[in-house]
Parts: sequence; structure tokens; C-alpha cells
Amino acid sequence: MSILEVKNLTHTYDGNTPFMNDAVKDVSFSVKKGEIIGIIGHTGSGKSTLVQHLNGLLKATSGEVLLDGKNIWDDPKKIRLVRSRVGLVFQYPEYQLFEDTVYKDIAFGPKNMGLSDDEIAHRISEICELVGIKAEYLEKSPFDLSGGEKRRVAIAGVMAMQPEIIVFDEPVAGLDPRGRADVIKMIYDYSNKYGATVLIISHNMEDMALIADKLIVMNKGELALFDTTENVFKQHEFLKDIGLNVPMVTQVMLALKEKGLSVPDDIFTVDRAVDYLLTLSKGGNHNA
Amino acid sequence: MDNIIEVKNITFEYEDSDQKDTVLKDFSLNIKRGSFTVILGHNGSGKSTLAKLLNGLYKVTDGEILVDGISTSDEEHEIEIKRRVGLVFQNPDNQLVASIVEEDVAFGPENLGHAPDVIRAEVDEALKSVGMYEFRKSTPHRLSGGQKQRIAIAGIIAMKPDCIVLDEPTAMLDPKGRAEIISTIKKLNRENGITIVLITHFMEEAVDADRVIVMDSGKIVADSTPKDIFSNIKLLKEVGLDVPQTTELLYRLKSGGMNITTDVISIEESAQKIYDAIHLEEI
Amino acid sequence: MLKDITFGQYYENDSFVHKLDPRTKMLLLIAVIVFIFVSQNAVALSLVALLILFSVLLSKVPLKMYFKNLKAVFPIIIFTMIINLFYNASGDVLVSFWKLSITTGSLYRAFYMAARILLLIIASAELTYTTTPNDLTDAIEKLLSPLKFIGLKNAVHTLAMMMTIALRFIPTLIEETQKIMNAQKARGADLESGKLIDRIKALIPILIPLLISSVRRAYELAEAMECRCYNGGEGRQRMKQLKYHSNDFIAFAVVVVVCATVVAVNMIL
Repeated sequence: MSILEVKNLTHTYDGNTPFMNDAVKDVSFSVKKGEIIGIIGHTGSGKSTLVQHLNGLLKATSGEVLLDGKNIWDDPKKIRLVRSRVGLVFQYPEYQLFEDTVYKDIAFGPKNMGLSDDEIAHRISEICELVGIKAEYLEKSPFDLSGGEKRRVAIAGVMAMQPEIIVFDEPVAGLDPRGRADVIKMIYDYSNKYGATVLIISHNMEDMALIADKLIVMNKGELALFDTTENVFKQHEFLKDIGLNVPMVTQVMLALKEKGLSVPDDIFTVDRAVDYLLTLSKGGNHNA
Repeated sequence: MDNIIEVKNITFEYEDSDQKDTVLKDFSLNIKRGSFTVILGHNGSGKSTLAKLLNGLYKVTDGEILVDGISTSDEEHEIEIKRRVGLVFQNPDNQLVASIVEEDVAFGPENLGHAPDVIRAEVDEALKSVGMYEFRKSTPHRLSGGQKQRIAIAGIIAMKPDCIVLDEPTAMLDPKGRAEIISTIKKLNRENGITIVLITHFMEEAVDADRVIVMDSGKIVADSTPKDIFSNIKLLKEVGLDVPQTTELLYRLKSGGMNITTDVISIEESAQKIYDAIHLEEI
Repeated sequence: MLKDITFGQYYENDSFVHKLDPRTKMLLLIAVIVFIFVSQNAVALSLVALLILFSVLLSKVPLKMYFKNLKAVFPIIIFTMIINLFYNASGDVLVSFWKLSITTGSLYRAFYMAARILLLIIASAELTYTTTPNDLTDAIEKLLSPLKFIGLKNAVHTLAMMMTIALRFIPTLIEETQKIMNAQKARGADLESGKLIDRIKALIPILIPLLISSVRRAYELAEAMECRCYNGGEGRQRMKQLKYHSNDFIAFAVVVVVCATVVAVNMIL
């Protein structure tokens, strides 16, 4: 049974607003519990608009969002409950930090849910252990942390609400490789521990290949593809047409294939590529 | 080729209220006129500080930086040094002053007190050289990140600098924006002869550089050609740099026993290398 | 929503009004505003209204833009109308309850005041739709430039620079505010309900991040300006030089004629 279902969702912006926005046209898909879904597409393809519907920050012009089979707008007064079940982490979430200690900042979400202080304390220690925020950091000011640490604290602030579904808008943008690996791991660990469903918007196909079970491909506001990561990346011609790439390693494999080497076209990670190519070369090399 | 910038044994300390933080110590570096240099380093390696020192925005604590032989500490030539060495920052939003593209680009020449018709010509030329001339009447707010960053670059070019230092100009951009900026930078170097110092943590942006410098904790840990630097993947990983998947793949194939070098980055070249390696072994 | 505020947004076009010198537009706006208040009767105000309407049509800015702008201030207009409805007591009583009554005089006055505000907003909006913020700033700088003879040279430049920067960053900050609001809402922040004190408290998670990011922006912008040879306006030249053209004189003439008529109407009626 699907935990989240989007049905014929359309969002049009009034053409006269001076701010550019990306519209969404008739998008439908459904997500099962525990799945990790990547959302890829150009800037302006409607990704960010789409995800803001999932927790009711935006209201669709037409169509609906079903959470556990129920329209999230059935009772508009309970939209905040929806927001605690569907967490949304915006781009550069560290810019939303505001409290004077890390602890208080992470507690902001759980507090808004009306949880008891004990429960909040329990959740914070649990989430900090999971994502590797050390106890001594909790009493520090979030503004004294490094960029990567701030990002982790901001994400932990949403995770502490223990949403069943958590949506990320480019969670690793602007981070260095170490920071990126930390954040990707933290998303993975959270999903594993709580069986949470994850949706991630990203430009980084390499990350997607590592972490996503399925991919949603957005193009000009429409859902162009929705399939397993493998099947989406197999359509490299189509992706190229709409200006997206497959992971670099896949591109290398495709180039090898073109040169006449017999390699499969479903290799999306360096690990698999290394295994395959080494076997191939050793297989050919009788001295090995 | 002579040196446009000479950094001579400099030390730089941040003076916070009570503690001193030494970012660079006894640091030296020369930049050749007309060259394209890439400085690679992760956050906190001191590379951003270096950028701000090169045009005198920050003043050295000790030692000396010469731009065309003039010291950046020389207050009399402060403006002239900033004109000669332009600085482009990471966040395009926070470096645009005016709400109309051409008026923003005009800001530098206006400060220099050029005549109105001269400014007009400088602005038009600068906008054309970054391919944003048709957007001259737009407002920056409606442009994409890559376009805004190109406007920021145009704002520097309009001052006719000899050298442009770019401090992670692509860090906040999407892949399309990144590609736009990198090709703009290369064009400025090739066609306009502007000396480029590009600071980044994306290794693939260094492919076409004349020279790559790797920085870590305020020190230069490597300084050579891209080919040379890229063959030393171990070092790049140690200092926390972004290694593209192609390089990663070659590196691991090499570690796995394949007879291959890791000094290329592009898809095509990597594939060719792997193909050759496999075939050589077959023969 | 915040996005709907279009005030202060330039609408690119090439109309008669767009091409006027910004100083002309600014001086004429001031004149029109003065005469909106000088007009003492409906006929005089209609004349000003006609002038404004005429210029709005000349500006070739879609009327939709103006309506949109008015939507935002609609509550203020309604509020003014209600206040005036009960304030003035002259004329026949139409409705009366408790200690309040509505008379023909107060009804007239309510509409009159509403019309004034409406005209005020339309005229000001027209200036911002047809003049780039930078032109406006230049105009202010130029119009205030006589002040430099009394030793306020730096003040005039600083004011102009501040306005330029403010105008440049207003859309950015609006967008940022919206983003932060959404981010905090996603963390369950309740911005729409509760007592006044709760609502004020609920602003803290929005204002603090906004303040912090503004300080950071200001710092970065200052550095970027310094890198572009900014030196406090010393020896600064402008690319765009303001020049009056024949159209400006025509516009001045038309407005002067209308204003004179308003004065005449005021005296006759």
C-alpha cells in the first residue's frame, strides 16, 4: 500500500507576479513506505514547487495529495499535523537556524508538535546519536558551527520531529565532499532506522545512483519518467534530450560500448564498474 | 612571461577579540601574466583568504604582495590595485549593487570616474564578453544563478582588469550554471588575455588550467600541471577534494591492477584509456 | 501573500511616460499629490483623476498591474471609508444606530477620501512602474543636489546609494522571508492562529534568521563594492546622464494647465 499518493497535481502561478516560479502540470505518482525516491530535473522544471505540495505549504490549483489514502486538505485545521508527518528540508536549511543553542533549535519542531519536554529530550538524544552530533555541541550556539555542521543541525531539527516521510531539496548543495558524504549518510541512516520514506531533489546523478530506489524525472513541469533508478538511467538518450545526464561512470561505460567493448548499460556506480572492468581485463589477460 | 602577482613570504592573521588565528604563514606564490591558474582546496584551507589578499581587500600581517610591482599595502594605489585585480565571489546575489543589469555593470567604471560615454562602451563590451548583452535591461533578480554570476563577472571586466580572481564562483550554481561560468572564464583567458586565478573545490574545473595549485591548511601541498596533479589522486582525496567519478574509476582500476594512468578527466579520454588498457592486456 | 506585492517593480516598456526624465516624473508626481489634496470638490478631483487616468493609459502598463497593487491596500481604503462614514455629520441622516449615524455628507466624504487614496496609490504606482528604481534614485540625487551647497554633499550621495541598495535587495529579501517562513512552517511553526502575543512570538524564528542573513549579505556586499573600487562616492561619475527633452516640457505644460484649472474650479465652486 502506498503511503503517499499524488494525483493529477497541477499548480499554476499567476503569470503577472514579478517572481519567476516553476509550474507543475498534471503530475501523478505514488510512493511506498520506506522507499527512497530521487527527483531530478532542471532548475525551473517544477521540482521545488512539487515538493512544497507534499506537506501543504502550497495548495494545488487542481489535483490532490493523499497521505495514507487521505487527502491532506480534508481538514485544513490539521495541516500542521500533516507537516509533522511529512518533513521538508529546504535548500540551505542552515539559514533557518535561530535559537541560541543547538539543543533549542533542534527542539523547535518537536515543541511545535506539542510533545512533552521528556519526549523532546529523548528524541534529541536519539537523533543526535544517529546523525553524529556530539553531546557537547548541544549547548553551543548554532552560529558558531562550521557550514557542514550547521547543515546537519538544521536537518536534525526536522528529523527530530520523526516524520514518516522526509523530503529534501538539494540537501548537499554547496557542501564539500566530506560534508556531502555526512549528509547522505545521515539521510540513509534515518530512513533505515525509522523505516521512513525519503524524497530527495538533487542535481547529482552520482549520489542518486547510490541512494535512490526510484527516480522521478521532471521536465517543464511535467513528470517525464517515474521508474526504478536502473530503468531511468537506462534511458540515457531521453535524459540527454531533456538536458540531464546519467552518472559519469555510466557515461564512460556507454563510451566503451561505442568503442566496441561488450559492457552492459546498467552500471551506475563506480563499485560495479570497477568490478566489471577488472574482471573483463583479467579475463582477457591469461597471465593474470 | 612576467609575473602579474608576486606573493612574498606573507603571513596573515585574523584578529578576533581575544584570539589570533593564523591562516597563512610564510606563504609565497607567483602568478604569471596571462596564465590560467586553478587553486584547489576544501573549505577552510585558506584559499578564500588568499583571494581577498590578492587585491588588497585584506592586508597582509607580514610580508608583501606585489601587483605589477605595486604593494597591496600601498594605500595610495589602493583603488588602482583593485581595478587591476578584480575579485568575484561565491554568492552572485550579494555582489550585485543595482537593480538593472547594465547599471550594475557600470558601477565599477562609475566609481573610477570614467566619462559617461566611455562607461557606456565599457559596459556594453563587458556584457558582450560574458554573453549577457541582451539582458542589459533586465533585473538581476529574475535571472538564473549562472546568469547573475556572469553579470558579476561583467561588472569586474568593465573595469578592464589585468587579472580576475574568482573565489568559488560555481559553488552555489546548478550544473548548467557551472558550465556557463567555466566556459566564460576560459574564454576571457583565451580571447581577452586576462589572467585568471580560479579558486574551487571541484577538480574537474581545473582540467584546462595552465597550472594547478593544491592548498591545505594554509599551505601549498602541490603545484603543477593538471595532468600531473590528477595522477596523484591519493593526495587530492587526502585534502578532501571533490574527485570526479571518471578519475575515481581510473584510480580504482589502477589500484586493482590495471595498467592505466589517472591523469584525464573527460568521459571520452577516460573511456579511451580504459579501452586501451584492456586491449593491451588482451594482446 | 508576500509575492503579490508588486509595488516598486519596474514594468519594462517604451511608452511616452517611460521615456520622460525621472526628475520630471518625480516633480509631476509631487505636484499631482499636492493637487489631490488641494482639490476641494468632486469636479476638481475628477480633473486630477482624469489626468492620472490619461497618464496611466499613456504608460502602456497593463491595468491588471494597478489593480493588483490596489488589492493590497484595499483594507486601508475600506478602513478610511468606515472612519469617514461615521465622522462627518452634515447633510441628511440616512441610517442611524447607537450614537452613530451615516449622513449624505459623510457618505460623500467617505467616497471622496477613498478616491483620494486610490488616486494617490495609482499615481505613485505609475511612477514606480515606469521608472527604474535606479532612475528614481538618480532623480532624487539630482533633485537634492542643491543641498551640497550647504555642505551636505556626502549625505546626498549616501542617501542615493542607500536607496539603490535597498531597491536592489527588497525583492531578494521578500523572497528570503517567504523561504524562511516556509521552512519554519515545515517545522510546525504556527503563524496563522493564536493570540496576538503568540503571533508576535511566532515571528522570532523568522526575524532572527532574516536578520542574520541580512547582516551577512551586507557584509559581503560591502566587500564586493570595495572590490569594484567604491570609495564613498569620491570622484564618482554616472553612466546615465539625465537630460530634459521636449516631451518633458509637454508633460510639465499639461500638468500645469490641469493644476491651474483645479485651482480655478476650487475658487469658482
